[in-house]
Amino acid sequence: MNRTKQNVRKIALYAGLILIALVQLFPLYWLFTFSLKDNMQIFTTNPLGLPNPYRFENFADVLQRGQVASFLLNSLLVTTATIAVSTVLSTMAAYAIARMKWKWSNTALLFFLMGMMIPLHATLVPLFIFLKRTNLYDTPFALILPYVAFAIPMAIYIFVGFFKTIPAEMEEAACLDGMSIYGIFVKIMVPLIRPAIATVAIFTYLSCWNELMFAISFISKPQWKTLTVGIMGMVGMYATNWGALGAGLVVATVPTLIIYLLMSGEIQKSFTTGAIKG
Amino acid sequence: MDKVLRDRRAIAIFILPALLVFSSVVILPIAFSGYYSLLEWNGAGKSTFIGLSNYLEMFTNPSTYFVKGIVNSALLAGLSVFVQIPLALGLALLISHGIRLEGFFRNVYFIPVIISTTVIGQLWMKIYHPNNGMLNILLTDLGLAALKRNWLADPSISLGAAFFVLIWQYIGYHMLLMYSAIKAIPTSLYEAAEIDGCSKSQLSRHIAIPLIMPMIKVCVTFALIGSLKTFDLIYVLTKGGPIHATEVPTTLMFANIFLNYRYGMGSAMAIFILVECLVLTVFVQRFFKVENYEF
Amino acid sequence: MKRFSKIVALLTVVAMTLTMLGGVALAQEKKTLNVWHLWTTESDANAKSFNIVLKEWQALHPDVDVVIDATENEAYKTKLKTAMAANEVPDVFFAWGGGFAKPFVEAGQVLALDDYLADGTMDRLLGGALDNVTYGGKTYGLTFIQWVGTLYCNKEMFDANGVSIPTTNDELLAAVAAFKAKGIVPITVGAKDGWPAMFFQNVYAVRTAGAQLSNEALSGASSFNAPEFVASAKYLDDLVKAGGFDPGALALTYDEAKMPFLAGQVPMIYQGSWLAGEIQDPTLSQVVDKVVAVNWPSLSDGKGDPNEILGGAIDSLMVSNNASDKELAADFVKYITENMSRESFKLGAGIATWKIDMAGIEVSQLVQNIIDFASKSTGAVLAWDTFLSCEAAERHKSLVQEIFAGQLSPENFALEMSKLQ
Repeated sequence: MNRTKQNVRKIALYAGLILIALVQLFPLYWLFTFSLKDNMQIFTTNPLGLPNPYRFENFADVLQRGQVASFLLNSLLVTTATIAVSTVLSTMAAYAIARMKWKWSNTALLFFLMGMMIPLHATLVPLFIFLKRTNLYDTPFALILPYVAFAIPMAIYIFVGFFKTIPAEMEEAACLDGMSIYGIFVKIMVPLIRPAIATVAIFTYLSCWNELMFAISFISKPQWKTLTVGIMGMVGMYATNWGALGAGLVVATVPTLIIYLLMSGEIQKSFTTGAIKG
Repeated sequence: MDKVLRDRRAIAIFILPALLVFSSVVILPIAFSGYYSLLEWNGAGKSTFIGLSNYLEMFTNPSTYFVKGIVNSALLAGLSVFVQIPLALGLALLISHGIRLEGFFRNVYFIPVIISTTVIGQLWMKIYHPNNGMLNILLTDLGLAALKRNWLADPSISLGAAFFVLIWQYIGYHMLLMYSAIKAIPTSLYEAAEIDGCSKSQLSRHIAIPLIMPMIKVCVTFALIGSLKTFDLIYVLTKGGPIHATEVPTTLMFANIFLNYRYGMGSAMAIFILVECLVLTVFVQRFFKVENYEF
Repeated sequence: MKRFSKIVALLTVVAMTLTMLGGVALAQEKKTLNVWHLWTTESDANAKSFNIVLKEWQALHPDVDVVIDATENEAYKTKLKTAMAANEVPDVFFAWGGGFAKPFVEAGQVLALDDYLADGTMDRLLGGALDNVTYGGKTYGLTFIQWVGTLYCNKEMFDANGVSIPTTNDELLAAVAAFKAKGIVPITVGAKDGWPAMFFQNVYAVRTAGAQLSNEALSGASSFNAPEFVASAKYLDDLVKAGGFDPGALALTYDEAKMPFLAGQVPMIYQGSWLAGEIQDPTLSQVVDKVVAVNWPSLSDGKGDPNEILGGAIDSLMVSNNASDKELAADFVKYITENMSRESFKLGAGIATWKIDMAGIEVSQLVQNIIDFASKSTGAVLAWDTFLSCEAAERHKSLVQEIFAGQLSPENFALEMSKLQ
């Protein structure tokens, strides 16, 4: 009796979970189908159904634009550099804020947090001037530098949270073994927050990869343009081939999916191997 | 140990690189904006110093719509904290323990966050489309044609329609953060409680939620800040319309800087958004005076 | 984690090397000309014609490296204004005349071209070509095409429903009623974007007030709070209340709204002449050769000549006052705009603003319709949002949207407009 009740509950639970999963998968389904339609299907006859007919030539259109490979490469360069640099800088700063003892640590945290509260559009003109004066305009650094700076606040905030949960005994033991503070940081503390690093890397990746405003404003030369900008260039003044634009967006989203799954696997693995155990 | 953790040189080495990059690229520009906010400047050519007039005008002149924008963003912040985060927490708890395909559900629930806002916006424009949109077609098929609406064209419901999308899109974001915090709880704690005969819901209430309070605080902070400076999706979905029904502070700031040629006014709005977020964040930190649990 | 960091490091190195190689290969000792514009896709007629003409110019100037930066329309405005605020505009840039470029000209960031036009260039331009790029008696840009507000009617749908193409407003209202009775949305409009909705009030004002009074009011010489402008809003309000538009129009962008017309589901759209090319493109449209173009219907009590049009020459290329080689930049602008005038005309983007050799140019019947009624025009008014200063333009579009929402009376519309003067 009790067992059937439990089974019914379980079925209801899984049915609910799967239903939500279908809703969450819908945008992905829509993006892929949208990329295989023409304007007429997208806007009037068939906005949400399966493509009829399938227009694979949309993808040919995108790839024929020629520079897609170079755009993709630029996006990869900018994003990976941003993730690498911002991770190093923010784990260091977060460690000092969370674990080390100094008067201004809370103020420093709030100061960094301010970076998340600043509306990006307001920084556009001053940053443009800054990058022109420093001759960084029209180089990959014109994007990497702002991306790193704007990724730091969130990363620090999350890392501080994770560092704080680590028991003090771990540092004490290492310290007694004669390890320096730098050794403790690199060899003990950073490995302990691996899941957090992977999580933050995903968020940083997403904000750089999809970023448009800085990427449009700080890069002028075609050879440094990023993928999202290249794809938005398919939006015309009065006429747009939306299907091809969709194909471009698919091309931009596939790397994201792959990288997300890789990172997510990394998070999962660290849980199962028990990175943090009391 | 204590001496090692008070080493000033080490603190400086750890914090300075981040501080330097952050100050020059983030703080310096916003300081400039603070200065611009005191000017009457069209974004090209000469400017006049006008003190706090921009700040005064944005609150007293109703045709700036700024007060309306603040009210709208406050509403969104409320929805985020009291609807989005509880839902995300519920999902995180559900999938973090004893569920088959745990990784699958976690990955799939996060998908709307991965997809660029442009795509999400276009998708919902199609769903809400007055004539061939999925929502209205669905309502007709279910015999609920009376509930059909011009979701994004009717000023009285467009705000709700737009906020629904915003709340939905970022549930996965908060879920992932809380999920990783739940996963960081040592399993030994659960095992002990299970031996004591605790049920699953008791485990969540008495062990998981208190232990991940610091992460809930992080989520609440992010949700508040994110709501007060939300821009992209609103801009794609409604552009602040119809007739200003869905304006938020950032859409107005953008319009003033880049459409109206009122650079000073736009900067003043930016500074206000910053201050507003700062005050609320300090408040949240006070409110969540939670102890850090030592395991 | 280790594997992950290795992947990151490897990717960085590979990408860095490849992109650096690309950069080195392009660095050469040449004159450079930086050009910003917004013709990103070949589906725009002007993008096609620009690229054709650019190739010609480059063939004539092999010693000049033209660096083109094309940015999508919306983002372009943000980008150009950012560069203006930083006083760092490129040598040559696209800009709209009228209210858009005015602050830039006043800030001294745009080069006056008069000295470069005295070589006979002026004689090759048609009258009125430079009206909207002239500030304080000086010319700051060159236009290439004049757009024309056009009522596109799907002849097939009109015939099938026994409705005749409207030439008067009463006929228009009759057509609206006839289509509406059959469950067909009569006119499609992307009111979410503001400007497509605005066209209707603007063109009614051309009829109620006439081009002269409209232009006077726009330039501030007479008030918007006049019976003629109240009437323009009243006519639009009547059209809205008669069910002329989709009730969900305020949620539709221009891109969304034109689709049902191109699909042959909606019989009418009032748009610029640039839509003609798309209507005649079989890959984008199902109404090729089924559409006739007419001027906006006349009014029985209007002061304006019914041949007057909404439209004008406003798209232009300008030269920065900081251009490294002003002579070269001005020469580029002259060559490009003159030849684009011909090429864009051929592609049906509008009416040329330069005196071009018409021999051997064949246009579609649809474009010929537009040329026919535009050439009869006795006066023209620009779309108000391009003429007005930017803040007033934004407010103006928002006021017209309020008429579409049925929330603003014609009298208050005129009153609010007069407050912007």
